[in-house]
Amino acid sequence: MVELSVELSWAETTPLSRIYAAGRQGAKEHDAGLTMAEQTGFELVQVMARRGQWSATDQACKEAYGASAPAKPHAVVAQGALLVWSGPDQFLVLSPRGDGLERARLAFAGMASLSEQSDGRSLLRISGARSRDLLAKVCSLDLHPAVFPQWAAAATSIDHTSVNLWRSTDRDGEAVFHLLVFATFAESLWHTLLDSGAEYGVAIDAPGAWQA
Amino acid sequence: MSAAGQTHRLAAGGLIDRDNRLSFSFDGKSMDGFAGDTLASALVANGVKLVGRSFKYHRPRGILTAGSEEPNALVELRTGARREPNTRATTIELYDGLVSASQNRWPSLSFDFLSINQLASPIFVAGFYYKTFMWPSALWEKFYEPLIRRAAGLGRAADKSDPDHYEKAWAHCDVLIAGSGPTGLAAALAAGRAGARVILCEEDNRLGGRLLSDGGTIDGIDAAAWVAKAEAELRSMPEVRIMTHTTLTGAFDHGVHAALERVNDHVPVPPEHQPRQRVWRIVARRTVVAAGALERPIVFGGNDMPGVMLSSAVRTYINRYAATPAKRLALFTNNDDGWKTVEAALAAGVTVAGVVDARAEVSAEQRALAAKHGFAVLNGVVDHVEGGKAGVAKIVAALAGGARATLEADGLAVSGGWNPSVGLTSQHRGRPKWRDDIAAFVPDGAPPGMIAAGSANGEFSLAACLMEGHSSGAAAAGDLGFSKSAGNTPVSDEDAAYSLKPVWTVNSKHKAFVDFQNDVTASDIALAAREGFQSVEHLKRYTTLGMATDQGKNSNVQGLAIMAELTGRSIPETGTTIYRPPYVPIAIGALAGHHRDENFHSTRLTPSHHWAAERGAVFVDTGLWKRAQWYPIKREKDWLVSVTREVKAVRSGVGFCDVSTLGKIDVHGPDAGTFLDRVYINTFSNLAVGKARYGIMLREDGIVYDDGTTSRLAEDHYFLTTTTAKAGQVMQHLEFCRQVLFPELDVQLTSVSDQWAQFSIAGPKTRDLLRDIVDPSEDLSNEGFPFMGAREVMLRGGVKARLFRISFSGEMAFEISVPTRFGDALVRNLMIAGEKYGVTPYGTEALGVMRIEKGHVAGPELNGTTTAADLGLGKMMSTKKDFIGRSMAGREALVADDRQVVVGIKPVDKARRLRSGAHIIPKGATPGPETDDGYVTSVCFSPFMDQWIGLGLVKHGRERHGEIAMAHDPVRREDYEVELCNPVFYDPEGGRQRG
Repeated sequence: MVELSVELSWAETTPLSRIYAAGRQGAKEHDAGLTMAEQTGFELVQVMARRGQWSATDQACKEAYGASAPAKPHAVVAQGALLVWSGPDQFLVLSPRGDGLERARLAFAGMASLSEQSDGRSLLRISGARSRDLLAKVCSLDLHPAVFPQWAAAATSIDHTSVNLWRSTDRDGEAVFHLLVFATFAESLWHTLLDSGAEYGVAIDAPGAWQA
Repeated sequence: MSAAGQTHRLAAGGLIDRDNRLSFSFDGKSMDGFAGDTLASALVANGVKLVGRSFKYHRPRGILTAGSEEPNALVELRTGARREPNTRATTIELYDGLVSASQNRWPSLSFDFLSINQLASPIFVAGFYYKTFMWPSALWEKFYEPLIRRAAGLGRAADKSDPDHYEKAWAHCDVLIAGSGPTGLAAALAAGRAGARVILCEEDNRLGGRLLSDGGTIDGIDAAAWVAKAEAELRSMPEVRIMTHTTLTGAFDHGVHAALERVNDHVPVPPEHQPRQRVWRIVARRTVVAAGALERPIVFGGNDMPGVMLSSAVRTYINRYAATPAKRLALFTNNDDGWKTVEAALAAGVTVAGVVDARAEVSAEQRALAAKHGFAVLNGVVDHVEGGKAGVAKIVAALAGGARATLEADGLAVSGGWNPSVGLTSQHRGRPKWRDDIAAFVPDGAPPGMIAAGSANGEFSLAACLMEGHSSGAAAAGDLGFSKSAGNTPVSDEDAAYSLKPVWTVNSKHKAFVDFQNDVTASDIALAAREGFQSVEHLKRYTTLGMATDQGKNSNVQGLAIMAELTGRSIPETGTTIYRPPYVPIAIGALAGHHRDENFHSTRLTPSHHWAAERGAVFVDTGLWKRAQWYPIKREKDWLVSVTREVKAVRSGVGFCDVSTLGKIDVHGPDAGTFLDRVYINTFSNLAVGKARYGIMLREDGIVYDDGTTSRLAEDHYFLTTTTAKAGQVMQHLEFCRQVLFPELDVQLTSVSDQWAQFSIAGPKTRDLLRDIVDPSEDLSNEGFPFMGAREVMLRGGVKARLFRISFSGEMAFEISVPTRFGDALVRNLMIAGEKYGVTPYGTEALGVMRIEKGHVAGPELNGTTTAADLGLGKMMSTKKDFIGRSMAGREALVADDRQVVVGIKPVDKARRLRSGAHIIPKGATPGPETDDGYVTSVCFSPFMDQWIGLGLVKHGRERHGEIAMAHDPVRREDYEVELCNPVFYDPEGGRQRG
């Protein structure tokens, strides 16, 4: 037995924590057109139905989460989790940090394969009057409310980076978009978003725990 | 002082703000204009006629048009880093302090030395370069090319990096409308009222198109008032977006269009945080091209002289800008539209010297107008003009009866008729069709969802434009299911027929230009015809007709007409060249947008990046990643010193390296093992849970694709790693295999590359260090955690991690991975816990040194030409199963015994540096393709060998260990002796990594 000579600290980082600065960025002569924030404290599980098991997975989803598994590009508000479509026969289970992975294991045992992605993604929230103008600079999708209503979702490419994008509940009458991006791309995308949104003025909120 | 400079400013009228005086300079001379001017209109107001010099002959040129098709008035705009060449004065909105300069002249615009080129014009004919500079070819780079480049300048690019920002953006709509003249406004109103999402693009800074120059009456009110009313209604519709300063430049597949928005070209410096220009990709379900028509010149002697201007442009300068291009104006026309310029000039108080009309008959009204104002109407054509760089002075007409007549005038307005703007509708390889009644090409169909309307469709009267605009806007919206009322059609009683007699060229003895910008004359086209370049595509390349920045907008139809006449064909038989985007020039910077300099591509950062940056690591770009290349410590100036120190520290103690960049893939499912057996050459289905194995994948053609270790974490869960470079491609490849090749297998794949922070810890003291990190209950002994073991462990402090006992360095080594949130903490803990063992972080260079010393192959050997056997790994190819690439790997050439195989290489002179890329030839042989046995793929300075060593691919390499051969390096002019040897320089028995 080796004596522990030093105390180890396991301070956690988030994909943006080393560069994150809450406050105003870009144009300051008017109210911020955009509000952005990194969302933390979530658990994320990739669920992939095994061959021929989609119906069983869907049924299990209804039992465990009280909602159908998303079979087309949208996000489903379920019990204690958000279910986000990510491709044919697969979706993401996003939940506040806790027992998300365990819960998914119990729910989908034998019918779906699970991969934890809680550390593999960064979750960004973008809202405000100019959020669509900002996203238009980096995203090819039509985010008009008639085409991309609340809880619409997409697996797309933003600034050459794979992103899961969905629109959640409006805040103060303005659309709120969530972007789930690979963690190692997060700083790069964050800088691009700040550069692109600078002309509208960006208010960066303190990072906060994600809530459905 | 300079108020007096506006000698050609009319006393009243125009859409200019006379209370807002703007100062600008042209060629160092300070002048004044007004808000609302373009640079061109301000130059006109100041009486400036000479604006530039032509491309080839350096002929004096003035302003021909009032739009983005301008071929002559190209200037350098702004100074310093913001200097931009070839900007068209006709599209530059005047701002206070604007600085512009003429280009392509030396030493001055007024006296241009190279204008002697025109004396030599008999030799500068079409095809001159092809004929003259063919031989001797050795002179091309040294002599001809520099000579041509100096002579044929088109302005100077800024010699500093552009300080402004450009960007790209997407927009989506139901109905996209190009152009906001009467047609476009009517279309936008109709589509908007019906409820469609509309985008209205207008190149100009305000809506109205030709209405701004020609006026008229619509719905019983003045055109200007109608435009204002229409704009107000459009702005009140939330789903209508008006984009001024925006030119639709391209039409691509599936309704995707390109547009250029000049966001801040009308101010000296863009406001902070704003781009100068923005390139739009606009996705539209329907498109109405209301881009109008362009007036065309007539080819006569001296038609390029300053003072000769398109008739519609003269009207624009007079009506819109209250600036007259001439005090005494003449008109040469072949149609009624030209006469509108006479009316405009007379209304503005400009004297009209006379009209040369090619038509035998003019109307009674026109005769009456001439009589009233006392000017002559001559039936005939203009033969040539006389004057000089200061502008036109005399117009010499060849009358229908054969006589000549002369008009004295300081300006000549020319109207050869109108060409509908068929560029956008023809961009999908469509060819426009000829309409005899207007002697012009009109769209013949268009890309799906697109329709041309109004002048762009050959309907030139105001009444017809309004009607067609409204109906096409309403139809586009109706097509898409928008059923609200499109409202009333705007009406005008201006529906006069357009009477035109085609006149393309006048047989003049004087030099007559077809393409102004590229100095293509009528005689150049005749020469091309004589020499057999009669196809329009040949004509274009041979003479450069239509190849300038105006892309033939001012010249192509006249050129075709001349060729048609010379070859006895009709114009439609002669045909048109292909229309391609962009419709107007776009700066490369705008196309690059945000993606320049450090934003050229997105960047991936490793979990230890910020810690490494704090330590002063030197980073290297590997794909999108930034990786620590080495970690210099105090007083280390030379990279090799740092790298050698890192290698020695690992080999004698312990070090660690961030290997999170490796691709990591979860392979799940009951058939995961079977799946891996098919994609790897070796077997994975029999791998025990808790063990790792090195695997190789082949391409279908039998060549090695990628390698890496894959561990079995559970019966139905493998964790596969790829190389850094191939991470994305391997994931795609495996998904292809899963979805397409082997759909019967129950297997699921997920990239977990970013979920895990992974570090290689290597060196004889690795276990000592790990025992300070890992929970004491974990058994790390050789028995408890043997070589190639892989399992989850608990770290001190309660963090779960995975440990893999694998070694790339040849040392006793583990790879440890923790969830990425703990990556930064782990690296700091390794430093703290490792202090007493002298722990040393190492970068990719030291990693490379150790793998070369150990003879491990990597990217330079897995180079897309090598087989597993070439790499010395042929025995890994299972004979008991099928796998991707197996059959093709058995091809004769891939199993030939003279293939180049991996071998170790070291210079005989131990002090000599070995270089990658050197060829290996037998000692004593003359270097050449037939004696070339292979080449050096990877090199390093080996601290262990105390000399430079390398790996190479050499014919019969395995049988030649010990042979002295020659390294032949023609690039660095080196030849030296090397010894071929076992590629495993370090610990060939492998005792260290297993110990």
